[in-house]
Formats: sequence, C-alpha cells, structure tokens
Amino acid sequence: MTEKLKNILWPLGFGVAFLAVWQLGWFHALLNLAPFQLPVPSEIVDTLVAKFPKAMNDCGVTVSGALVGMILGSAIGFVVAVVATMFPKWGYGGLIVISALNAIPIVALSPIMNRWFATGMEQKIGVVTVVTMAAMAINAYRGLNDLRPFSLDLMKSYAAKGPTVFFHLRLPNALPGVFTALKINITTAMIAAIVSEYFAASTSGLGFGIKDNLRKAEMASGWAYITIASVAGVFLFLVIAFIERRVLKWHASQNPEVVEKRRPVKVG
Amino acid sequence: MKTNVWGVGLVWIVALALAWEWGAQLLAVGFHDPMAASKLPYLHSVVSTMFNNADSLFEAASVTFTQATIGFALGAAIGYVLAVLMSVSRTIERIAFPYLIISQMIPVLGLAPIIFNLVRDMNASRILIAAYITFFPVAANTLGGFRSVDREKRQLLDSYAAGLPTVYAKLMIPFSVPHLFAGLKIAAPLSVTASILVDMLGSKNGIGVKLLYALYGGNMDIFWASVVTSALMGVLSFLIVLVAEKILVPWQDTANQGGAR
Repeated sequence: MTEKLKNILWPLGFGVAFLAVWQLGWFHALLNLAPFQLPVPSEIVDTLVAKFPKAMNDCGVTVSGALVGMILGSAIGFVVAVVATMFPKWGYGGLIVISALNAIPIVALSPIMNRWFATGMEQKIGVVTVVTMAAMAINAYRGLNDLRPFSLDLMKSYAAKGPTVFFHLRLPNALPGVFTALKINITTAMIAAIVSEYFAASTSGLGFGIKDNLRKAEMASGWAYITIASVAGVFLFLVIAFIERRVLKWHASQNPEVVEKRRPVKVG
Repeated sequence: MKTNVWGVGLVWIVALALAWEWGAQLLAVGFHDPMAASKLPYLHSVVSTMFNNADSLFEAASVTFTQATIGFALGAAIGYVLAVLMSVSRTIERIAFPYLIISQMIPVLGLAPIIFNLVRDMNASRILIAAYITFFPVAANTLGGFRSVDREKRQLLDSYAAGLPTVYAKLMIPFSVPHLFAGLKIAAPLSVTASILVDMLGSKNGIGVKLLYALYGGNMDIFWASVVTSALMGVLSFLIVLVAEKILVPWQDTANQGGAR
C-alpha cells in the first residue's frame, strides 16, 4: 500500500512543484522572458474557463476528423495486412513499401490534401487516413502471421479450409496487434489532425485555434488550446485501452501473472 | 531470401511509379481536370524538376536536415541519460515515468508553434522541437530495455560484488542498445517532421519554406519537388538509423521490428 501511495505522491508532488515554480515566475527569471510571452498557469486556467464553449466546439471538430480518418486508415491498413497474408511472396514486399509511408512528414501531406479536397474536414480526414495506415498494416500482419508453433500444422491436419484458419486462428491471434496499432494511431491521428489544421483553409478546430490565437498574440489562449488537445489525446487513448481490456480479457497479455509464468526459463 | 525481398520491393516501387504516371494521365487526359498539374503532376516531370533545381533543393533540405539531426542527437542523449537515471534510482523513476507515459498520448507536435513563438529563433526552435520529440520515444524504449535485462545475469554480477559502473558497462548498456535503436527508429522521421514544421511556421530558409512559398506562389512543380524531397528526407533519416544499427548491433534482426510507429 505504501508503495502504491509513493507511486502517486512522488509524481504528483513533482507536478505541483513544477506548476508552482512556473506560477511564481521563476522560469521567466531564469529564461529571461516577459510575462506576456509565457503565461502563468492561473492565467491559462482563467482563459480556459472563459473560452470553454468555443474551445470544446473546436475540440469536437478536430476529434471527429481524427476519429473518422483513423477508422478509415486503420481499416485500409488491416485490409492490406490480410491481402499480404493471402499472397505472402508479394504481400510482404508491398508491406515494406507501405511502411515507407510512415516516413513521409505530415507537414508535406497536408498541402497535398489541400489540393485534393475542398473542405478543411475532408482534408484533415485525408491526412489522418494516410498516416494511420502503415502502423495498422504492420502490426496486423505480424499478428496474422506470427502464429504459435505447430498451430498451423494442427489446422492443416484437421483439413481446415482457408476461411476457417483465418477466422479461428489468424484473426484472434492478430487482435492484440490490432489494439497496439489503434493505440499508436489515436495519438498519431490527433497530431496529424492538429498539424493539418495549421495549414488548412479551415476556420475551426484546435490547430486553427492555436495558430490563430498565437497570431493575435493571445498566448494564454494558445496554451489553453494545447491543454485541451492534450486532455483529449489522453482521454481517447484511455478509451481505446479500456476497450482493449474488455475485448482481450481472455488474452495472456492482459494478465501480468500469466505473462510472468509463461516467460521461458533459460537453461544452461 | 534477402535478395528476394529486395527484388519484390523493387517491383513494388516500379509498379507504384507506373500507377502514379497512369493516375496523373487519367486525371489530366481522362477527366480533363484543370487542376491536374497541382493535384497529381506526372512523376517524370516532378523528377525532372528535382534534377533541374537540385542545388537549391539540396541547400534548403540540408539546412532543415542538419537542425533536425542536432536536435535528434540532443534529444536522444537526454532521453538515454534519463532512462539510465530512472533505472538507477527508484525515486526518479517514480517521478518521471507517469509523465513519460502521458507524454506518449498527447499531441506533442501541437506545441511547435508555441515554442516557436516563445524562442523566436528558427534554428534554436528547430533544434528544441526536434530534441523534444525525440526525447520521449528514446527514453521510454531504453527504459524498457533496462527493465527487460535478465534477472539472473544481474544477480550473477551482483554476486561477483560488481559495482554499479561495472554492471552498467558490462550488462545494462550493451543490453539496452537494441531497445535504444527501436526508439531512435521511431524518433528519426519525427524529428525531420518537427524541423520541417518549424520551417513552415515562419522561418527564413529550409525545405518547408521552399514548399510554402511554392504553394502560395502557385509554382506547382517546385511545390511537388519539395514535397517529394521532404518525404525522401524522412525515409533517409530512417535508413541512416537502420544502417547505424546494422553496424553497431549486428546480432539484432532488424527486419522484424522496424517501423513500429
């Protein structure tokens, strides 16, 4: 119990001390900043409260774009993984090419999507779709193919057909990887949605809010928006983690004791 | 098997290039889209623009890439040191670990304009933001590496009464290197992205500035050439880390764990 308490009190204490130092203006003194350049926490909170309805509206725009794009991108990525599993020889090479998409900077994608789509929402969804495909394709492919030894042989000895092998062996085996990809993708999707709003023609959304407020030199509003974006990111992540726990109850990765026991013992 | 994978990859790249050409033709000739040249220009015209403007593109790209590299190295070093400190001291781990976890869930790149506004120096903010974004995956992955050191090996060294520096030099640090690289592979393209983002927020030079000016000036050839250049920079950063890993950790099978993010 005390151990648990320490795990909470230490980081909490550090966080409070950090905010206090910030509030008292020690960072300003240290970094030679004027108060208007770096607003103190109380000012950010005041702004947050004052602008809450508008900020929530902007948050809704960004989150809905991020979610739709993430679902589209993850679905495409999963289909790619399934196709790659069906055609192993050509599929794996295609997967490597897809994973190169990972390296394309979001900032270069958003002006392209600006050309392709008329509205800010479509553009945002386009960017998020592209950046979330690769993680799902790679993780799902790994789950569909890294089967436990002999399980495929067992299925073959039962003369199981392709669809049976897929739905009873490969798909359940891929679920943990799918959730790993979703957890990676939800953060990526939020980042991509916000960054694409910096350069889109849209007049709403968290990214637009941050940029617009900074342009008007309203630093506290910018920080308030960043706070909301962070809270939204953590919340969405926790929602996915919660669904993962419910769906994967049967899986060993959700049970620390089993994982500990299943760890191979090295001999010699 | 190895050559086979490369061959298949090559076929895919050629097929994608052909699909691009065909798509561009379809858009321009098939649909008579007046915006075809800006939506999807012919790949060969993009490539020829890149060759014709190789000097200016390379200059802009190298400014951005250099700052990204400095920030990347700085962030990786700080992240590694924090991971070492966290593995040595339970208290430091207690303080920093929750923040490390939360930081992976928040849209860190959203902070870029705020930092840029605060620092007001494009080189410094490029380095700062690239370092900041590199820091988290490196620290988290390295700590994961320290934690997964076999208990028996640690106990063996303890039973030899080996001091902390010896334990780290002989066991912990070598063991953590593959995990460090897993973090570096995630961080490398991100640091390039961060650097380009700072370009586009209002710097004076760099590939992002070139991209933005071409976009606003309606110069679609240069725009597309800049987009492809920045994509290549991202791929290049990943490949550099991959090659470094092959040299430093030759025993690690990299094919199985690349591009986790």
